[in-house]
Amino acid sequence: MKISRRNFLKGSLTTLFLAGSGFPVYSSTENKKNLVVIMLRGGMDALCAVPVVGDKNFEKRRKELILDNTIKLNSDFSLHPGLTNFHELWKEKKSAIVHATNIPYTERSHFDGQNLMESGGKIPYKVKTGWLGRGMKVAGLKQEGLALALPMPLILRGVPQNNNYFPTKGKLPSDKVLALLKDVYSDRSEDELIGMLEIIKSRPKETSYAADDTYSLASEAGTLMKEPNGPRVAVFEVGGFDTHAAQGGEHGTHSDCLKEMDLIFATLKKRLKDQFDNTLIVTLTEFGRTIKQNSGLGTEHGYGSAIFMGGGLLKKNQVYADWPGLKNKELFQGRDLNSTIDARSVYASAMSTVFDLDFKRIQKDVFWGEDLQNLSDKLFKA
Amino acid sequence: MKNFFRKVAFGLKPDEKISSDPLVWATSQITDEIPDFSFKGKIYSEKELRKHYKEWVFNDRKKLRKKFKKDKKGYKSAKNKLRADTGQKFWRNLELAIRHKEATIGSHPVLTKLWYFWGNHFTISDKDFLSHYTTGAYQRETIRLNMNQTFEKLAHEATVAWAMIHHLDNAVNVGPKSEDAKADWRKRKKRPATINENHARELLELHTVSPNSGYTQENITELAMIMTGWAPNDEQHKSLLETANVKFQRKYHQPGKKLFWGKEFPKGKKGLPAAIKFLANHKSCREFIAYKLCRYLITDYPTKDMTDPIVKAWEKNDGFLPEVHKAAIKVAFEFNDKHKKFQTPENWWLQMARMTDAKWPPSDDKFDTYQLGFGPDPYQAKPHKFMKDMGHHPYLSQQPNGFSDLAEDWMSPELIIRRLLYARQGYINLKPDNKNDEFFEKVVTNNFDNPEKIMKILNKNEKTIDKHILLFNLPEVLRA
Repeated sequence: MKISRRNFLKGSLTTLFLAGSGFPVYSSTENKKNLVVIMLRGGMDALCAVPVVGDKNFEKRRKELILDNTIKLNSDFSLHPGLTNFHELWKEKKSAIVHATNIPYTERSHFDGQNLMESGGKIPYKVKTGWLGRGMKVAGLKQEGLALALPMPLILRGVPQNNNYFPTKGKLPSDKVLALLKDVYSDRSEDELIGMLEIIKSRPKETSYAADDTYSLASEAGTLMKEPNGPRVAVFEVGGFDTHAAQGGEHGTHSDCLKEMDLIFATLKKRLKDQFDNTLIVTLTEFGRTIKQNSGLGTEHGYGSAIFMGGGLLKKNQVYADWPGLKNKELFQGRDLNSTIDARSVYASAMSTVFDLDFKRIQKDVFWGEDLQNLSDKLFKA
Repeated sequence: MKNFFRKVAFGLKPDEKISSDPLVWATSQITDEIPDFSFKGKIYSEKELRKHYKEWVFNDRKKLRKKFKKDKKGYKSAKNKLRADTGQKFWRNLELAIRHKEATIGSHPVLTKLWYFWGNHFTISDKDFLSHYTTGAYQRETIRLNMNQTFEKLAHEATVAWAMIHHLDNAVNVGPKSEDAKADWRKRKKRPATINENHARELLELHTVSPNSGYTQENITELAMIMTGWAPNDEQHKSLLETANVKFQRKYHQPGKKLFWGKEFPKGKKGLPAAIKFLANHKSCREFIAYKLCRYLITDYPTKDMTDPIVKAWEKNDGFLPEVHKAAIKVAFEFNDKHKKFQTPENWWLQMARMTDAKWPPSDDKFDTYQLGFGPDPYQAKPHKFMKDMGHHPYLSQQPNGFSDLAEDWMSPELIIRRLLYARQGYINLKPDNKNDEFFEKVVTNNFDNPEKIMKILNKNEKTIDKHILLFNLPEVLRA
């Protein structure tokens, strides 16, 4: 394990210096740029997905969950062997990782944590909109969001008339019925329902085939986002990361979830074609997992995790971290990988890059002026 | 006022008499005896269904995987046969039919709506093959049958139910100083015994006191210690694997008295009931449950004047659920005109079926014709298919916190498309003699306070199917 906190701090001073230089991060507005968020529900185990290399503190706590055939990324970190597509992107310098990061939430409840990872707030259930929805609102991106899920996730709320795609078979009512319904909704000031009927009116009247597997959803998202007038923001959900027992290593439950995420990266690359270069993909999870395996060969709720990123808007392939170390005294509450980067700094920087907005504006209008770090020049292409 | 019949139940059938006292109508359904099911076909016990689960797990894991180690195609085919032989795709349809019949024709729809509440409160989420074999039976036998008990009893029964123990991994929650921790194999394999926090965390967060109570990580660990030992009995026949009955097993239990939340709790088998008693009687628990009941029945954002009477009824009756339920229904009645609650897809679907006396669920005898070795036929397969497509299959919650009852979580273009499509399906389910204007008038008159206004809207359509789709997507119907 070569990486140390001191090594990193040299880098972070540079970051602070540049951030303080007052240069706003503006990208070209010639091309349509896309932002994709993949929510990893259940608490993604960053040390299973991106294990640290040669750290005895890690190896002794994870005897049976240590992976044998990892993919080497650099001298300090490797990659879960199931993430082959992510690794292909890495080789093309189109994927990167932020490690030892999380939202500032330490209570280890899935549900409070998921609420906060989507709202971007600090008190569970207090904020009724999502950081992505608020960011889109600031960027003036109305009707540009697409959720690849049946419900509309909290993260996208805050800007009206987002769309979602989760197909089913059947025949919609006639235009006359929809128009009548719209009249009734108008009479009753049911604005949200009116907005949805508007979207529904543009859907095919009859659908005889519907596939809602991950590949099909990602294919549709990529195909739509490739179009100049297609959505600019998409949100996916991958569940099942909560592996308290039988977590598995190279194979098993956690691995299956990671592969599902990997499939989204690959499918978006395939469908977006050249537009992949104008796209940024970031992942989001509520917390990481304990360093130590339990006797059911699983892991418990933790704190620090990692963010996977992909797309042509990345600056380079890298594992970006202020590595906290895994010695007992370096762990959060003696049990978890610590978080040294507020994950919201990454998301704010990502929005700044993709939405062509000044970081400080995102910081102020989306994250209430909280103390976030502008990582745009470290992670993304200006 | 008529929306009350949907707020606390599923509306009134076309010929159902409108009670002059809706509150009495509702509270009289909450009896000390849990009524028999309206479903008259064969109902299987949870234990019987768990035997099929065992057959599936044992044969797949211990036989097929070995036999077809190098033959993927052969394995797939043998596995499909095993699915059919154990009824894997049939049971959840049968369970949904039993569940839905209580709502559509049952004589205690208020009790049924509360049953759904508790089933969701003590959720078994979609994990392993629980939804295929046992979740429905758990909701019948553990949840519904204990609705005439105290909350403490219900919480205890749900906690030690086989499905819950498996769902939340308490089967692998082992005391670090337990007898099992000293086993040779652990030393040999260098695998020390540890606690598993999953079940303890959710018992606190989701099932009893909620995070509002202020428990800490340390409290979670302490409770997990108390819960060690509650696991499927591994002294029963080995072929049962993880499907054996749950039994307290001292060899896995952390020895000694336990401290939990600053209080001392007994060691051994008595620890968990004592901890549940403590939690069930915690102020935060009754406040949490009262809030959830109001959110389920009345409004997304309950107020203190709604929850207070329920908390008081709880305190006065030591958490005796029939009295807690009556208090909740009374509050729902008092706030009926002030708040309209957006109905979740399953409630909405069942209200449509009851209000129109539709053919839902498929008839009992259709389920009795099922034979092991086959998949369900298209009729038998409908309940699972429909509920999954609507995004509200009660056995397929993605996480242990169950389904949301907030309007915002059920509002999206795709979810509204489902309402439009399934309103059409609801029309298809109508009895042939009921597809006419007179019938719609009867449905509307019996269930709404403003029938003329609604009929005027419906009559803008010529086709009865369009009237039906429109009716069941009106704001008056989406909310109750």
